[in-house]
This record gives sequence, structure tokens and C-alpha cells, in this order.
Amino acid sequence: MKNKRKWLAAPYGVWAAGFIIIPLLMIVYYAFTSQESGQFTLSNFSSVFTATTMKALGLALVLAVLSTLICLVLAYPLAMILAGAQVTSSAFIVLIFVLPMWMNFLLRTFAWQTLLENNGVINSILQMLGLPALHLINTPAAIVFGMVYNFLPFMILPIYNVLIKIDRDVIEAARDLGAGAWMTFRRITLPLSVSGIISGVTMVFVPSLTTFVISDLLGGGKILLIGNLIEQEFKQLNDWNVGSAMSMILMVFIVISMMVSSKYDRDGEGALF
Amino acid sequence: MKNKLIDLVGITKSFDDVTVLDDLNLYIRENEFLTLLGPSGCGKTTTLRIIGGFEQPDSGKVLFGGADITALPPNRRQLNTVFQRYALFPHMTIEENIAFGLKIRKKSQTYIRDKIRYALKLVNLEGYETRLPSALSGGQQQRVAIARAIVNEPKVLLLDEPLGALDLKLRQDMQYELMRLKNELGITFVYVTHDQEEALTMSDTIVVMNQGYIQQIGTPEDIYNEPQNAFVADFIGDSNILDGIMIEDRLVEILGTKFACVDTGFGKMRPVDVVLRPEDLELVPPEKGIVKGRVTNLIFKGVHYEMEVMVNGTALIVHGTRMAAVGDEVGIFVDPFNIQIMNKPESEDEEAVSVEE
Amino acid sequence: MKVLKRVYMALILILLYAPIATLIVLSFNSSRSRAKWGGFTLTWYRALFQNEDIMNAFYTTLMIALIAALLATLIGTLAAVGIQSMRQRTRTIFMGVTNIPMLNSEIVMGVSLMLLFIIGRIELGFGTILIAHITFNIPYVILSVMPKLRQTERSVYEAALDLGATPFYAFRKTILSDIMPGIVSGFFLAFTMSLDDFVVTYFTKGPGVDTLSTKIYSEVRKGIKPEIYSLSTLLFLMIFLLLIAVNMASVKESKKEIEKNAAHLAKYGRKRIFTRRFVFGRVLPGVLCAALAVGWFSSRTGKTFAAQNQVVVYNWGEYIDPDVIDIFEEETGIRVIYEEFETNEIMYPKIKSGAVAYDCVCPSDYMIQKMIDNDLLAKLDWDKIPNIKNIGDMYMKTSEQFDPGNLYSVPYCWGTIGILYNKKMVSEPVDSWKILWDSRYKDSILMQDSVRDAFAVALKYLGYSANSTNIQELTEAQQLLMTQKPLVQAYVVDQVRDKMIGNEAALGVIYSGEAIYTQKENPDLEYVVPKEGSNVWIDSWVVPKNAKHKENAEKFLNFLCRPDIALKNFEYITYSTPNEAARELIEDPAIRNSQIAFPDESVLERCETYSYLGSDVEEIYNRLWNGVKSS
Repeated sequence: MKNKRKWLAAPYGVWAAGFIIIPLLMIVYYAFTSQESGQFTLSNFSSVFTATTMKALGLALVLAVLSTLICLVLAYPLAMILAGAQVTSSAFIVLIFVLPMWMNFLLRTFAWQTLLENNGVINSILQMLGLPALHLINTPAAIVFGMVYNFLPFMILPIYNVLIKIDRDVIEAARDLGAGAWMTFRRITLPLSVSGIISGVTMVFVPSLTTFVISDLLGGGKILLIGNLIEQEFKQLNDWNVGSAMSMILMVFIVISMMVSSKYDRDGEGALF
Repeated sequence: MKNKLIDLVGITKSFDDVTVLDDLNLYIRENEFLTLLGPSGCGKTTTLRIIGGFEQPDSGKVLFGGADITALPPNRRQLNTVFQRYALFPHMTIEENIAFGLKIRKKSQTYIRDKIRYALKLVNLEGYETRLPSALSGGQQQRVAIARAIVNEPKVLLLDEPLGALDLKLRQDMQYELMRLKNELGITFVYVTHDQEEALTMSDTIVVMNQGYIQQIGTPEDIYNEPQNAFVADFIGDSNILDGIMIEDRLVEILGTKFACVDTGFGKMRPVDVVLRPEDLELVPPEKGIVKGRVTNLIFKGVHYEMEVMVNGTALIVHGTRMAAVGDEVGIFVDPFNIQIMNKPESEDEEAVSVEE
Repeated sequence: MKVLKRVYMALILILLYAPIATLIVLSFNSSRSRAKWGGFTLTWYRALFQNEDIMNAFYTTLMIALIAALLATLIGTLAAVGIQSMRQRTRTIFMGVTNIPMLNSEIVMGVSLMLLFIIGRIELGFGTILIAHITFNIPYVILSVMPKLRQTERSVYEAALDLGATPFYAFRKTILSDIMPGIVSGFFLAFTMSLDDFVVTYFTKGPGVDTLSTKIYSEVRKGIKPEIYSLSTLLFLMIFLLLIAVNMASVKESKKEIEKNAAHLAKYGRKRIFTRRFVFGRVLPGVLCAALAVGWFSSRTGKTFAAQNQVVVYNWGEYIDPDVIDIFEEETGIRVIYEEFETNEIMYPKIKSGAVAYDCVCPSDYMIQKMIDNDLLAKLDWDKIPNIKNIGDMYMKTSEQFDPGNLYSVPYCWGTIGILYNKKMVSEPVDSWKILWDSRYKDSILMQDSVRDAFAVALKYLGYSANSTNIQELTEAQQLLMTQKPLVQAYVVDQVRDKMIGNEAALGVIYSGEAIYTQKENPDLEYVVPKEGSNVWIDSWVVPKNAKHKENAEKFLNFLCRPDIALKNFEYITYSTPNEAARELIEDPAIRNSQIAFPDESVLERCETYSYLGSDVEEIYNRLWNGVKSS
């Protein structure tokens, strides 16, 4: 029985091979061949290692790290509050954070333009309070803001899910053995939630690193991230080879974060659920 | 008489309008093995958690060595808990688990090392220092949990059904282990269980609880031999609990027959509950018994036979080493000392107490 | 402490829901501009249901989300059961592969699928979007089913077999019912992810198919239609109300549970009550029914025409009055198959590949030159297009710059590029590109986010041709643009319009066609074509060589040149019409004689059209421009 049942995964196996694995190999193929002749070449990578691209990649890395850190700092206390709150249903909490997704991602980000603009809602409020206006829109800060806004739920949910799974007895045992609140957090809660943190970090870092929409909408076109360059190569310049080479560079970072996260997540399941 | 170490005064606690403890008063003496015994939902675990500091009573006080510790958080109480599901820290090795409390108290490295060795020896787990809890069996984990608690040399060790998850043989071994520990360490044990055999084996004092009230406090012998009400009688050991009428001092009518007994002071012609332990009933030839009955069922139990005897329409459970065949007519004899007379509950409240969970 | 927690949670929720509140407010804003509150209105809600574009995009979105989620749930659930029964090593491999779409970035996934489809000659469209969505949805399903599978007791399944059930029946009755919550929540997640996806769709979609996301993205550049706000508001409120209803019901339910669990409560304080069953049992079907109902209403019944009698039109988005198409269909009985493109560069490969035989296309000047050079266009039969006489001579003459001899193209719209400035913020007279480098206007300058336009500004300011191919000149222009960058507030396309209306900036580079509209909304704005000269552009209709209905195409072009029709289009799209006869029909003299819409020849003399520079030079432009943007 057991042996027969594993064939149920066959359709998925075929699907995954066709639409996950092969496309990735396509990228590798394009990255190493030239546009004109189709011969093996490394020249696509020389277009990648230019000042422009490296700068965009570097900036993307900095902004992604920043937004990941901010997400973590914001999300952890919130996840703790949620996990500690006597809420009737964990599904309901998940829904609170999934609900905004029913309003289109682009629109939500776009709405931040209205809020962050020089004459926007936030500055109007600041003015009313007699505070100096902030120059927010079209700065790297605005992009980080957009990343944090869009990806925060992906940090909150994994951490929350790990926290509610921590046995309350274990926390009480630590208290019982003399640990104060801070010590219990540092020695017990924090180490036990590492898998959630890692999975949250990956789920925020990768999309932040690779976004082109957020930088497009909130950066005023003044700030190019690596994602913007890839988008241009494929959609405007039609240079798939250089675009593929850039994607491969990105994949290096993605693979690193995947390896880190799988090390901490032996079930191979992520902690989103 | 040794000193009172812990004194619970007028403790009341409820969760969401459900009263779990109602005006509970209880003291625990130094170096005593005290067991809180009762069916699930009787409030025994809540009592333990209040002593441990994990729950705050709605009213009442917890005194420790005379000092009020009601508001003290668990980490500042001089007692340690062994949790029902062990609650080992899954991300730490056995060594680190045991060292946890000591490190927090900032003990020296050598002290901690010695203590770990000593504790692991005490619970027969030498050589397991660097393993993770998940690599240990349930019984081993339980012993680690105990070791983790006792290295801190607490004045009191609280144990919440620590053996509940173990199989029979292991449970018996651990019972002896716990008694040995208690004698070696001189610590006060507060032990929560719903297993009457466990309670009878280990305790100095048993507190029988039901529905948030203490039913009886006493030594295992007292509790077994002199249950104060039908609930205790029924909960501790097997019992035949019969309706009877106290005709006068030292004479009670049950099963339509008058029995001599040793109890006095119940008045005349008063309805009472009468407890007959199955092992106190003796099967004799029909003509030698106080009453006659017919055997309707027979089970071999190893040490003894368990027989069901129908006497005037009432089924009695009888334990005996000699077998009577089903259908045999037998006589039943009881020593007057072994007839336990109890007052009937007077109010509905008390009635409720005797209803099983 | 408790208060602190509440405040903190409230702040995060405000952060999450502030943009949603903003969009809801905007959906009631009677001003088309996002920057201005024009009073309360329900117009957009009424307009929404008449806007076929948006409703179609919405329907496409729902269909894709629904089908993708259903198929992904099916494949994913089977896979989860299969994976669960595998040996450790195979399982690890499968789970590793499953993690790829979860952790891989959307852009890499979108790009890789796009490559696959193009190489596999699968035409980009509804089907490819669907495949892509199923691909990224399956892992969500697997990952929500797996934990439930692990919790199921194998012994229950075996007990069912023991009691005489067939394996399938036993599976259905025991395991399936146990993992049902996982399946349902997987479906729900997949549906939501699909609904909200932009990046993957963006790369795998073909022209003519739009989901809400891609529709919005193209509109973000052109200015979002308020109808989209109202649609999102409706969608959001629908879900929101459903959830509230569910939550209220589940609170009732949980009270009962609490009583039942009184004994349990004593031990753990309070029990978390699980209402997911409820959410998924009632919310989800409700949502789906609502979604399908809306979809059904919005799907329109196609008009019936003879299959042969049609004309396939490929035009810029928002570049024709929809009524014009209706009138044409009515008058001639020819069915118009209408598709839109976003940029010349997206249009070009489609024509070149010949995958779809278009009958008329509307590219810009330099692109027409490129198409002529590559022999993609058919010569027009001017006898069939007598209305060409309505087009002004000077436009035909300008057209010769890219279409020598006027053989291939019918001018449709034209305009200049210039500076739009706010008279309240800029007191001095504006007549030169120089002002865009004036540091007094730091952060108040809006530049066009397009290579050629940005370089045209710099090249013209330097006194060079906007079609320069001289590396020296181009590098000089790049340097100039770099020195300008710190002063620039943003590089945008059509958002210049909204931002100028909203007084967000003092100066903006804009197309003349937009200037007329902005002046209507904000009278402080003034448009000028600088003295150094600028670009004049013409978008013209051409007929590709492989057109199947050339005669219909010529009928269509002739129709568009009719003065009343040209006027109708002008009023709708506000870009200048080269149709002199139509101009005469404009009632408002201020517009008829507007120097912005119809500048005199002295202005046009200093302007040049873009010409096609060849792919090598295009590449140079692009690299230089990227250098500017990332500087």
C-alpha cells in the first residue's frame, strides 16, 4: 500500500520538473551563452560586473538587510503579544495579516505614495502637530518603508507560529528554576524560536532583495535595484542573456538563504503554517 | 510534630466562572511526602500551581516558613517543580538542562560540574550528559526532570503527576526511586496524582480532593481503613458501599440482616452508608455466614479471586484466595472491626461530592 | 504593560491598514487626481460596472486565481500524500524542490518561466499565467497539508481497512477528513496568493490579457483610474464583512465550547478555540460564490460577426475612444479585435515574429522607421483612404522624416515634449531647458523616465541633435543628466500629470497632450517648448505586411481620418490631432487656437522627430541611462 501511494506524487513530480527545475536550467543556459551565436561565453557576466550593476546589487543588499532587520524588530514583540494574547482563534490572527492581500499589492504600495508625498497625508499630520515636514518619498528610506510594509506579515506569521508551539510548561520550568522574565526570554523563548526567525528572515530578505515594483513605485525612478535591472533586461532591452546572468547572481544569494533556512528547519517545511 | 513549612490559607480560585478551589486550607510539614489525590478536575493541579507560583489565587494566602509569598513570582520561590510532561528544554543537552538553575544562581563551574555528576548518578543516568532530551525515553526524561529540579536543593519539590506517562514497571521503579530520594535528600515532596496506589505507596500524608474541596487528610492507613465519606471510600481501593440503618450503637442493619459492628454515636434508627472492603468479606459455608448469597461471577486476579455474590438482590464484590464456583450458595462473614459506618451526606452539595467525575 | 501591548499592536495595524483606508477614501473622491480631494462621490462605483476593461481584468484575475488554486490543491494534496509515503531520501528531494518556489524570488521565477514558454513556443497568454500560478501555488498547498498528514493516525486508517472498507473508501473517510482543514487552508492561501500576484504574472502574461495587477501596473504609469479604487474597496469590504460575520458566529460557538471544557480549563487557564473549520467551512464558499457571481455578471456576451469580416487592431493603451470602435462596427459590420501594447519595444517583437497577424498598428515615428527598415510594413493604397486629405500638410511633411514619400503611415496623434511649470512656484519666465538644472528647484523637478526623452532634453540643451549617435555627445549628455539627478524629485512617466496637479513639484517634463488636461485641473500650470528645441513625435497607423484584412484596415484608417471621428478621439485622449478638418470643428476657441495643442510652425521648426538609431546605439543609450539612474 505504502509503495503504491507514493505514486500520487507523480503528477507533481512531472510538474515540478517541467515548471520549476527546467526553467531554472534555462536561466543557467542563457547566462552562459551569447545572444548572437548561442555559443558558450562568459561575456554576459562581464556586463553584470559593471559599476552600474554592482551598485544596484549593493544597494539592494543594503536595503534588504535593513528592511529585514526592521521587520524582525517590529515583528518579534508583536508575535509575542499575539502568542500570549488569549485570542479565540489563531486562524483569525493569520487572517488579520492575510486580509490586506485582498487589496492589490500594487495599489497598497501605490497608496503609500499618497501618504508619504511632500504634501501627503503624513506630512499634513506633522504640519498640524507643528512638526517639521519629512522628505520621505523617492528616497531609499521610502523604499525600505515599502518593503517593511509589504513583507512584515511574512515575518510575523512564522515567528508567531513557532511561539505558540512552545510548550508553556517549558517556560514555567525556566521560571521555576529561577530565571527571571528576561532570562527566560533570552535562554528559552529566543533559542526555541530561531527556526521561525530564520524562516521569517528568508521570507523577507529574498523578496526585498529582488523587488523591482517597490523601488519603482516609491523610489521615483531615481533608485535602481538589481530587480529593476533584471526587469529592464527582459522587458525593455530584450537581452535575455545578460538578464539571465544577473538572475544567476541573485540566485546565489537565494541559495545561500535557502541553505541557512534548511539547516534550521529539518522538516523542510518552513514555518509559515 | 515537625514545623509547618507551607500553609495555604483560605485559597479560592476560579477560571471563567468555574470555581476550581473554594476556601481551601492546607498545611505541609517539613520533610513530609504529601500527596494531593483526586480525580481529574478536582483542583489538585491548581493547588500545586498556586504553591509553585504559576497561578495567583483569587483570594487567600500562601505562607512559606511563615512568610507571605502569595505575590512572589516562581523564580523567587525556594521550591522546584517536576512537570507532568517533563518540560525539558528541547534545545539544550541533558547537562545544560540540569545546569540551568545553577547557572542562573551563578554557581562556580566546578560546583556545577560536581552537581551534574551527583544528580545524574542519583537518577542513574551517568553517561547521558551530552544527549538531547529527544534522544531519551520517557522514563529517562522524567529522571532528568527530577535531577534538574533537585540540583537546586529546593526546600520543596512539587511533582505534578510525574509518573503518569510511564508504563507500569517503570512507574513502580520510579516510585521507589522517589522515596529513596526523599529519604536521602530530606526534601519536602508535594506530589499530585490521580493514582490511589501511587499515593498509598509513597505518601506520609494523603489529601483526597474532589470538586475543589478537601475530602479527607490523613496517613495512607487512615485514608484506606477509615474513609470519612463514600467518595473517599469509593476512590481509594474497591469498596462495597451499602445503604444501612444504624439500629443502635454497635448494631447496623444491611442487606436485610443485622450486623454487629464497633461504631457508636450515630444515634438510633439513623440511615447511614456502610463500607465493606472486598478483602474483608469472608466466604464460608452457607450455614456459618451472617448472610447467604449466590455466586454470580468469578474472575481470577492472580493474587486472589474476585467474586460477585448476590445477597438479597444486592451484588457484593468479594476478594478471596479460595474459589467458589458460579452458582454456588455461600455464606458471608464479616469481622465487626471491618464494618465502616459513615453518615449519609446531608445536603445536595455533599451529595454532589460523591458523584463520580 | 497591557496598555503598552495594545498601543503597539494598534500601531502595527495602523501601518498595515493605512494604505487600505487611503484607497477607500480615494474611491469616493470626485477628483480624478489622487492629489486633490474634490468632494464625495459615488461616480466611480457606477462607472466601474460600465468599464469593460477593468471588469474583464477582474474576471480574468478571479478565473486564474480560482482555477489555479483548484488545480494546485488537487495536485498538491495528491503530492503531499505521496510524499508522506516516500522513503526519507526521496522525500527530502521532493521537499527541497517544493521549497524552491517558496524561497526563490518571484522575479527569477517569472523570468525563468517566461524563458521556458518562449523557447517552448507556448504563446504567452491566459494559459501561461495559469501554469505559472499553479506552479507557485502547489507548494503552499503541500506545506499546509503535510503537517495535518503527519498528525493523522495511521491506525485509524488501518482500523477502517480492518472493518472491511476498501482502501479508497478508508482513505476518504479517515485520512482525507483529517487533512481537510489543511487542504482547505492551502486552497485559501493559494487563492489569495494568486489574486495578489503581480511579478510572476507580469513576466508570463501576453499582450491582451490582463489581470488586475498588471492592469494596475500599467495604469500606475499612466495614472490610475478611480474605478480601480472602487473595485478594490468593494472586494476588500466584502471579505472584511464576511470575516466579521464569521468571527461573531465563532465567538458564540466558542462560548459553548468553553462550558463543555470547564474541566480542561482548570488546567490550562483558557483554551484556544479552533475556528478554522468555521472560517473555511463558511467564509470560503461564500467568497467563491460572490466571486463567481461578480465574474458572471461582468463577463459580457460577445457581439456576433462573420469570422472573416474583421480587423485586428493593435494600439497603445487608452489611445482611442471606445465609442469610436462601436460606431465603426455599427456602420461597416466589420468586427474590431482590439489589443493594446504599452511600449513600442513590446509591440515590435510581436510584429516581427508574425505570431499574430495584426491589420493595423499604431507605433511611433522612429519605430515606424525601424519597421520599414526591416521590411515589415505594407504600402498603403491612398485611393482607399480619401480622408487623408484632412490631415494637415505640415504633418505629412514631418512624417517624411521617418516615412520618406509618405508610403506607409497615416498620422494619428502628435505632440511635443516641453516643460510644464507652476506659475506660483516659478516666478521667472521659463524658456530654456536650463531651468531644469537650477538648484533653486531642488526636489521640485520631475523628469521623464524614458531613455530617449531624457536624453533628448540633455542633448537639446547642449545644442546637439536628439538623434545623436556621437559617443562624445552622448557621454556629455549623460554627465549633464547625472549632475541634474540630485535636483530631480522623481523619474516618472505619466505621473508628472498628477504630481503637477497636486502641487508636488514646480517643474516637469511632459508631453503636450497631457498639458491641456493638467491646465484644466490646475490653472496655475503653464506649458512651454524651450527655445533650444525639442522632440516632436507622431504616432501613425501602419499596416503590417502579413495583415490578413488589409482592405478592412484601410477602411478603418479612412474612418479614423473622418473629421467627426478624429474630433471624438481628440476629446477623449486629449493628444493633438493632425486632422485639420477636425480641429476646425472644436467648439472652444481657447483649445482650437491653443499654442499647446496646435503650436505654430516656428515651434515645430526647432523640433525634430526621433529616428531609429539601430540596436547598437540603442544599447549604448540604455547603458548610459542606467548609469544615470544608478548614480
